[in-house]
Amino acid sequence: MKIRTMKLLIKEGTNNVIKNKLMSFASIMTVVATLFFLGIILLIAINITSNIEAMKRDLEITVFLNVNATNYQREEVVSFIEAKKEAGVITEYRNETKEQMYQNIKESLNDDSLLEGFSVDNAAESFYIKLADPNNSDEIITEISRFEGVNNNNGIGYGKEELDKLEGILKVFNYIVMAVLVVLMIVSIFLISNTIRLTVFARRHQIEIMKYVGALDSFIRWPFIVEGLLIGFIGAALSFFITSQAYQWLQGVINAILANLKLSTLRIMEFGPVAFRIFIIYSIFGIVIGGIGSLLSVRKHLNV
Amino acid sequence: MIRFVDATKVYSNGVIGLRNLTVRIEKGEFVFIIGASGSGKSTFLKLIMHEEVPTEGEVYVNGYSVHDMVQSEVPYLRRSLGVVFQDFRLLPNRTAYDNVAFAMQIVEATAREIRRQVPLALGLVGLSKKARAYPDQLSGGEQQRIVLARALVNNPAVLIADEPTGNLDPKTSIEIMNLLEEINQRGTTVVVATHEKSIVDTMKKRVITLERGELKSDVQKGSYFDEN
Repeated sequence: MKIRTMKLLIKEGTNNVIKNKLMSFASIMTVVATLFFLGIILLIAINITSNIEAMKRDLEITVFLNVNATNYQREEVVSFIEAKKEAGVITEYRNETKEQMYQNIKESLNDDSLLEGFSVDNAAESFYIKLADPNNSDEIITEISRFEGVNNNNGIGYGKEELDKLEGILKVFNYIVMAVLVVLMIVSIFLISNTIRLTVFARRHQIEIMKYVGALDSFIRWPFIVEGLLIGFIGAALSFFITSQAYQWLQGVINAILANLKLSTLRIMEFGPVAFRIFIIYSIFGIVIGGIGSLLSVRKHLNV
Repeated sequence: MIRFVDATKVYSNGVIGLRNLTVRIEKGEFVFIIGASGSGKSTFLKLIMHEEVPTEGEVYVNGYSVHDMVQSEVPYLRRSLGVVFQDFRLLPNRTAYDNVAFAMQIVEATAREIRRQVPLALGLVGLSKKARAYPDQLSGGEQQRIVLARALVNNPAVLIADEPTGNLDPKTSIEIMNLLEEINQRGTTVVVATHEKSIVDTMKKRVITLERGELKSDVQKGSYFDEN
């Protein structure tokens, strides 16, 4: 197709959107609503994922030594941890001696009578290990549990399973969202295809004349497709604007609440870093919805 | 140029449009197709334009086999034809000039070609001065001239007119017919379906008469009531 023809067809399609104000507006609004919903869900998912990641980074592996662990056995564990730290697998660790544990328990119980029969000798030394990559946890836990000094009866603790469960729930949530989204997209496509159908009907005489003069099918179809794409894209841009405003407002509100609750780990992400990605996703969705909507209508009603 | 070989058209509802029609129209001819309503005039034109395809037999137009044609070729067949309708079919929201230019945009002519050809076509039909008028500002005869200009602007080999004077008064009808004759004299084959006997009688052209879908007569320099 020649460039001047392309220009002409794009102009025709744009004019259709303007001439068909009311239906174009209605279609644009359904696209806005669909994408707004998509965006909110997407942003919720992104936030949950990033917070889970942050929590994972904060997770510690707790390793208790046996009460009667020898000094040599203790050194074995320490040197293993040190080596792993050297290798960059472990970012940091801290150590709680028997005395510290005894003191901690004593303080938290706040009643010496309950400590009867419990002495420093009965307390166990422990290590709290942070990993560079939480996915390495299984490996580290297996390796560390081989040491004789380590208490293998509930002596090793790690909260990853709980987070994995949370991620599992997130996945199910994602599937449900997908299903709702598909329904919304179908509704949008239907509405756009209806708008285009009206344009096709309004211009049936022109189409007829074009056919008699020998217009190629593509020449007749393209203005309608341009119309659909344009509706999709305008809807996407508008929806992006609304989403960004709504999100930034909500971000401020929720972060303030989280700060008040002293939940420092949990926080709502900034919009800036994901803005471009969201915009691209919106545009693609908008254009696809618009394109499919008009194609359906053109195929069904143009009959050329 | 146009050749029907034993062509039959039966519509899906069982109505017979044409029955075993064999006819041949040479390049440069001026032919009237006449007959009562339902005689097959419209079907004849529709087959030429590939608006319908023959149920049986063969139809050749400008080197295209209409009876056996892939859909993607149809636009090119139609570009070799100029079509004029009884009800004009102009685009109401475009000026006379733009209506004619539209036909050239569709076949992807350059802006320069359009600027050169459209005034020529408008001049040929004698409407240079009304180029900026919209269809509803023009009389019926003037509108039909615009349609003629539109049909001619791409230099088709064949001009097809379906009742071109059906909505015009007798004086204007004669003007349009004279214009068609002029176009014919410039080398374009002209095929006119009509039921206006006065026009057919005065023009003394070849007359193909159809009746109930069959060829009733085919006379050189005929008149409406020739019964050879």
